[in-house]
Amino acid sequence: MFLALKEIKHEKVRYGLIIAMIVMISYLMFILMGMMLGLANENKAALTTWSAQTVFLNKNANDNLGQSVITKDQLADHSLNKHEALVGQTATVMTRSKKKAHKESVQFIGLDAGQYIAKDNMPLVAGRHAKNKHELVADESLKVKGYQLGDKVKLNSTAENYRLVGFAKDSQLNVAPVVYGRLSTWRELRGAAPQVVASGIISNQREGASRFKELAHYPIAKFIQKLPGYAAENSTFMFMIGFLMVISLVIIAVFLYILTMQKMPNYAVLRAQGISARHLIGATIDQAVILTITGICGGLVLTLLTAWLMPMTVPLVLEWPLIGLISIILILLGGIGALLPVRMIMKVDPVRALNS
Amino acid sequence: MSVIKLKNISKDFGKGISKVQVLDNVNFTADLGELSLILGPSGSGKSTFLTIAGGLQTPTTGTVTVEGETLEKLSTKERDQLRLNKIGFVLQSYNLLPYLTVTDQFALVRRIKKIGNMSQEELDNLLEELDISQLVNHYPDEMSGGQNQRVAIARALYPNPPIILADEPTAALDSNRVKIVGRLFKDMAVKHHKAIVVVTHDMRLRDFADHIYQLMDGKLTMER
Ligand SMILES: Nc1ncnc2c1ncn2[C@@H]1O[C@H](COP(=O)(O)OP(=O)(O)OP(=O)(O)O)[C@@H](O)[C@H]1O
Ligand SMILES: [Mg+2]
Repeated sequence: MFLALKEIKHEKVRYGLIIAMIVMISYLMFILMGMMLGLANENKAALTTWSAQTVFLNKNANDNLGQSVITKDQLADHSLNKHEALVGQTATVMTRSKKKAHKESVQFIGLDAGQYIAKDNMPLVAGRHAKNKHELVADESLKVKGYQLGDKVKLNSTAENYRLVGFAKDSQLNVAPVVYGRLSTWRELRGAAPQVVASGIISNQREGASRFKELAHYPIAKFIQKLPGYAAENSTFMFMIGFLMVISLVIIAVFLYILTMQKMPNYAVLRAQGISARHLIGATIDQAVILTITGICGGLVLTLLTAWLMPMTVPLVLEWPLIGLISIILILLGGIGALLPVRMIMKVDPVRALNS
Repeated sequence: MSVIKLKNISKDFGKGISKVQVLDNVNFTADLGELSLILGPSGSGKSTFLTIAGGLQTPTTGTVTVEGETLEKLSTKERDQLRLNKIGFVLQSYNLLPYLTVTDQFALVRRIKKIGNMSQEELDNLLEELDISQLVNHYPDEMSGGQNQRVAIARALYPNPPIILADEPTAALDSNRVKIVGRLFKDMAVKHHKAIVVVTHDMRLRDFADHIYQLMDGKLTMER
């Protein structure tokens, strides 16, 4: 530690540059991770709010709630229990009528007011629940965008007027805010035939495929993986984060390698003076760890500042266990990066010290 | 008593026609309390001799014994320990770590060899004597060549080793300072009972030596 710290202190510019590099890499990793989780959240937040465990769709729906329709026939011999709710989903444009007319792409979710989601799993941050077909509850993100309780809105190009009476907590689906209304409204927006009841059935219990034989059955994890774009986005982010880890490993290894190479004559002298190779290796690994820890702390500070100061289209979701995990991996990679110069140090020939 | 003993040492570099014999059947002993001077022109093998004596490289033939221990029988780790505890090296170049101040050069020694070093008072006196006590907070690149050399001498003496091996320790010093270093080495040998071996081509050190050797064409001959 002594040698490691003294050297960093004396060579501020050199080590400052390496630290700056690690700051930027870890910052980028944290931001990417935050964006990945933020985006994932916008894909599925509503499902979490509903405590969804099982989803049933039409078998021809291509795994997509918005494209699914189920009919009275398919439900004929079943009545829903209190853990199940009919859900009608359709992508909709909501237009605010007064003030500056404003258009918003939303996911309209039609519910049955008597079933569990509308009754129990729709926590509000403001206003109240809808009492009739002409009242809507919108996701809280629309409140942030300037919508207010009492605003008059239209859905798609239908003539009907609706009123926003509440804002719901954490209700986003397919990266769009959810607007809750009635199933009958959903049917109109969808232009669905009268025998169509909903897009699908959501249950907050684990249910088997045999529950509705005519429908396709999805445990929630599988359903989320099938959300449009979800898996592709996640793997893109994971790939970037993984590659950044490899880059940071290479950077640390290369820098330490070059620095160690320059220090070989000094190390030779120390070896001649009887200082063991182990001690010098320890100093190098200490240095790698000090550099990565300092860099990661810098990256964290920048990440927090960004999350705090910068308005983002996708909100950053910072999960501390994951950030901790990334940090630990980075520190380990720093240590591994130090192994390359370690081989060199082990081979230092003290005789060189006298012959230069 | 001879603390360091080289017996029938030869050293070759290279093979076949490019083979050079740098040391040819060299015999040498150094005793505690004595200052030995080995003189020879550049390229005569002085550094080679010193590194073999200090266990930094192995001779082609012959044996080196330090305080009764045969070096070739020791492991790398044991040889590190021996150098750390028994031998003070003053090297020809790169003696000091560029990123440590003079004070920290000694602090580093203390961290690795925790006992048996000079007391702070002894160190202060030594720095005073070498006229470098005002430089304690300087980095090596903030000092002249001669000042660096004197710090290196202090660095070698600080752990109190019984043996000092010095390679051209006075190359960068003016005549006055050569006298100071010569006298210091002589004092160290006599008062502190050390064996001091200096290889050099600096004739100015002759006056302080108990024994003088000449190294020429691989042969070591005793002059006095
Ligand atoms: N590792 C080596 N490989 C090949 N030849 C070497 C090696 N080390 C030293 N030599 C040769 O051995 C001879 C003696 O070298 P050495 O460094 O011992 O001389 P020196 O007396 O210390 O010289 P100087 O006064 O210039 O320091 C030189 O001719 C040198 O080229
Ligand atoms: Mg030499």
